[in-house]
Amino acid sequence: MNDLTIIITLVAIGYVAGTLAEKRHYRSIEKREREFLDLPAITIKNVDIDDAKVKKAEIVYGGAVISVDYFKRIVAGLRNIFGGAVKSYESLIDRARREALLRMKAMASDATMIINVRIETSTIGRKSHKKSVACLEAFAYGTAIYLEK
Amino acid sequence: MKYTARIPETNVNVTPTSPLWEFFVLLSGVIAIIVGIYLLLGLALNIIVPRIPMTFERKMAGPFINSMASVDRSSEKAQTVQKLLDVIQERYAKLPYTFTVYLHESPRVNAVALPGGNIVVFSGLLEKIESENELAFIMAHEMGHYVNRDHLKGVGRALVFIMISAMLLGPDSSVGNLLALSLNITEMAFSRNQETLADEFALNALHGTYGHVGGSADFFIKLSKEVNTGLWGHYFSTHPENLKRIAHLKNYSRIHGFAEKSLRNIPAIINKKRPA
Repeated sequence: MNDLTIIITLVAIGYVAGTLAEKRHYRSIEKREREFLDLPAITIKNVDIDDAKVKKAEIVYGGAVISVDYFKRIVAGLRNIFGGAVKSYESLIDRARREALLRMKAMASDATMIINVRIETSTIGRKSHKKSVACLEAFAYGTAIYLEK
Repeated sequence: MKYTARIPETNVNVTPTSPLWEFFVLLSGVIAIIVGIYLLLGLALNIIVPRIPMTFERKMAGPFINSMASVDRSSEKAQTVQKLLDVIQERYAKLPYTFTVYLHESPRVNAVALPGGNIVVFSGLLEKIESENELAFIMAHEMGHYVNRDHLKGVGRALVFIMISAMLLGPDSSVGNLLALSLNITEMAFSRNQETLADEFALNALHGTYGHVGGSADFFIKLSKEVNTGLWGHYFSTHPENLKRIAHLKNYSRIHGFAEKSLRNIPAIINKKRPA
């Protein structure tokens, strides 16, 4: 009975806190995405620009770590039994990648564009065979190009 | 090609769905499957358990009786309960078991039937006893569990569940723990029925031993006055609600024409508290 109370409490805390944090994060992401709308971050390697016009080119990067909440973990655990899209983790990955891209853009806020953008994803804080809540890390990097004005 | 900056209108990477709904659908699916398997196994165990030979059961019980710390079978108190049990064995129910009574010093008001005829009595129970008939009823109730071999069924189901859970989810998984709790409640429904059968056996045993069933309900009357089970108590209690239980005992005695006569005193040693 006691264990059941603990689990239900954890799930409830996970749901309420996780949902609130996610909503707030999405509001912040959308706001900053609009701010950085004029800074293109693209995946092509080469751009056809006269070398003389390029003032500076440098690596820029941004990383973000987002944790799973207890509720999402339970839902994903149940999903593991039946199979199918793990919807509860989708927003997690989405947030981590967008946040990483935004931080990368923040590092290059004066640049004209960022080219050759790549995103890496990894889990951290997850020891095999041990009970621990996994975190997701997204890391975005690219080459910021600064053109003469 | 001209680069046009714009914010995407929809987020294709996140499915617009209610996570709570998904949680409930998945959870009820898993619970339905496991409870289904569990009920099937419950039926299978009802067939298998009566065929397990007594000698094998003894062997099985050995290790965990030895591992139980602070049980005592040699004190005068334990021996007194043992003697009472032997009397019931002799006069009424010659069961194919050698019963051994263990006394466990603990405030819990309970007695447990373990495999191999090992009955553990908690000292908290003995302190509440007021007559020999009352104690005899409780011991006969535990014997009733052996007649139906309920103790093996419970152990069997628990074992099967742990195996299923470990196979599906890995050991010590939080989802597994959640399911174990929901099954606990199912298990209690199983055992409520078993308790009723054991009660009926105990009434017959009491009648066979003393010629009347006086004192049979005393213990539960006492408990019903003491413990208010509350709103949830009913669902989480193994033993049928005490009042229902008392009513059933009275009813069963009436149907079978069991009379109630004067009670026999309990040996003083039984009520004695442990020296602090």
